[in-house]
Amino acid sequence: MPYMVEATRAIGRTTLRTVAAVGRFGYLAVDAARALRKGSLWAPHLLGQMAKIGVDSVPIALFVALFTGVVLALQASYTFTGAVPLYFVGGLVSKTMLLELGPVLTGLALSGRVGANIAAEVGAMRVTEQIDALETLAYDPVAYLVVPRVIAGAIMFPVVVILADALGIAAGLGTAMVSLDMSSFEFLKGVRLFFTPWDVWFSVIKSVSFGVTVTSVGCFFGFHTTGGAEGVGRATTRAVVVSTMIILALDAFWAATLLQ
Amino acid sequence: MFDVEKAFGTKQVLKGFTLTINEGETLSIIGGSGSGKSVALKHIVGLLRPDRGEVYVDDENVSRLDQESLYGLRRNVGFVFQAAALFDSMTIAENVGMGLRRVRDTSDEAIDQRVAECLHLVDLEGYEQRLPSELSGGQRKRAGFARAIATRPKYMLYDEPTTGLDPVTTAVIDELIVRMSDELGVTGVVITHDMKSAFRISDRVAMLYDGGIRFEGTPDELRMCEDPVVKGFIEGRPKLMGLAP
Repeated sequence: MPYMVEATRAIGRTTLRTVAAVGRFGYLAVDAARALRKGSLWAPHLLGQMAKIGVDSVPIALFVALFTGVVLALQASYTFTGAVPLYFVGGLVSKTMLLELGPVLTGLALSGRVGANIAAEVGAMRVTEQIDALETLAYDPVAYLVVPRVIAGAIMFPVVVILADALGIAAGLGTAMVSLDMSSFEFLKGVRLFFTPWDVWFSVIKSVSFGVTVTSVGCFFGFHTTGGAEGVGRATTRAVVVSTMIILALDAFWAATLLQ
Repeated sequence: MFDVEKAFGTKQVLKGFTLTINEGETLSIIGGSGSGKSVALKHIVGLLRPDRGEVYVDDENVSRLDQESLYGLRRNVGFVFQAAALFDSMTIAENVGMGLRRVRDTSDEAIDQRVAECLHLVDLEGYEQRLPSELSGGQRKRAGFARAIATRPKYMLYDEPTTGLDPVTTAVIDELIVRMSDELGVTGVVITHDMKSAFRISDRVAMLYDGGIRFEGTPDELRMCEDPVVKGFIEGRPKLMGLAP
């Protein structure tokens, strides 16, 4: 019986903490929306953040996409052997890269690279009182730190994802030609057969939402960091875990709402 | 500050804290570690809001100001942080010039000139292009001091400005605090553990104990105070305060 009481209390505490965190996230989102008009504070940092969040993430995103494309082509040919014409491999690789694996795997990889980086950087600024210092110097820390990162994420995630989509399909093509004895004509026939421009838009919409998620969650946990170096570590871990969970939930949400 | 209460979770830090700071004076707040001195200081610039009670600066209730009015008030306040709180990614010159960039119609030349003046004042000429990580602890504190005074504030808040510094650097910082008050008429509030500094720089001293003000008076009155808690603290005798067996 005491275990039941303790378990119930633990569930209650976790629920309260989660609801409070959602509330604080809502406040941060409202503050960020209001801070959009303070362009003089965030605009000078936008290009730098775009380079850091987008350009610097290209290698890891391409690395993931390269092997995803290879595996997709090999698995498709293994699945289709004898039953389905082999040019369907092209259709499956392109469709899966654009609709699912390109945005989701890139989003997950970047939640580790970008989300962790933002949470650690902003968290370290919080525990060393640099955010308080910004406030005392009459800088709105949300406009200065959060807005440029979130806008950069919203702009650069789709760019990185499109590059990843393209490389993943190209890697699938290369694998099909080298390992499956397919011609490029056959592979591209499959790609063209199933391709619709909407697939690209779907990939872009998903990646914008992932970009906003990863950067805003990183900023949120960084902003609410307490407890020195250990707290920064905790904030970083939470940022990655929570943004990963939200990315997967959003993935299901977009599929349910936009692929009808 | 009137009847201010502030708690973090279940820990009640300030319990009916009341303190008045007079124009032009330098007031030191002393008290044990974790007694809430920094918390009290942060209420003055609205970095923290009281759970109860009110904080007034220039007849404005800080806890009720909207964000823009709060930033307006902060332009009159310089804050020296305990660990300097310099921005890691910026050079010392950029750090010192940060506040000036928020002052309208200030040209780049004027900013550069004022930065040079402030760095000269804290004996950090030639360090303009260094990063905070390339400075010693004392130099970082002095750079933080330069950043706080750059906008020529009316009020200065110092959070343990001499903690961890060698005696010579401590004397330099103390001298700067006295000059700010004597030459520029700046009102100062200093959080400190360093009793020597407190006696040297203060017009008045207040001791924070158990969430409220235990003593308030001039340095001479502090020396003569017979309250065992106050006496025990300034003489470093925990037994007198009832804190040691």
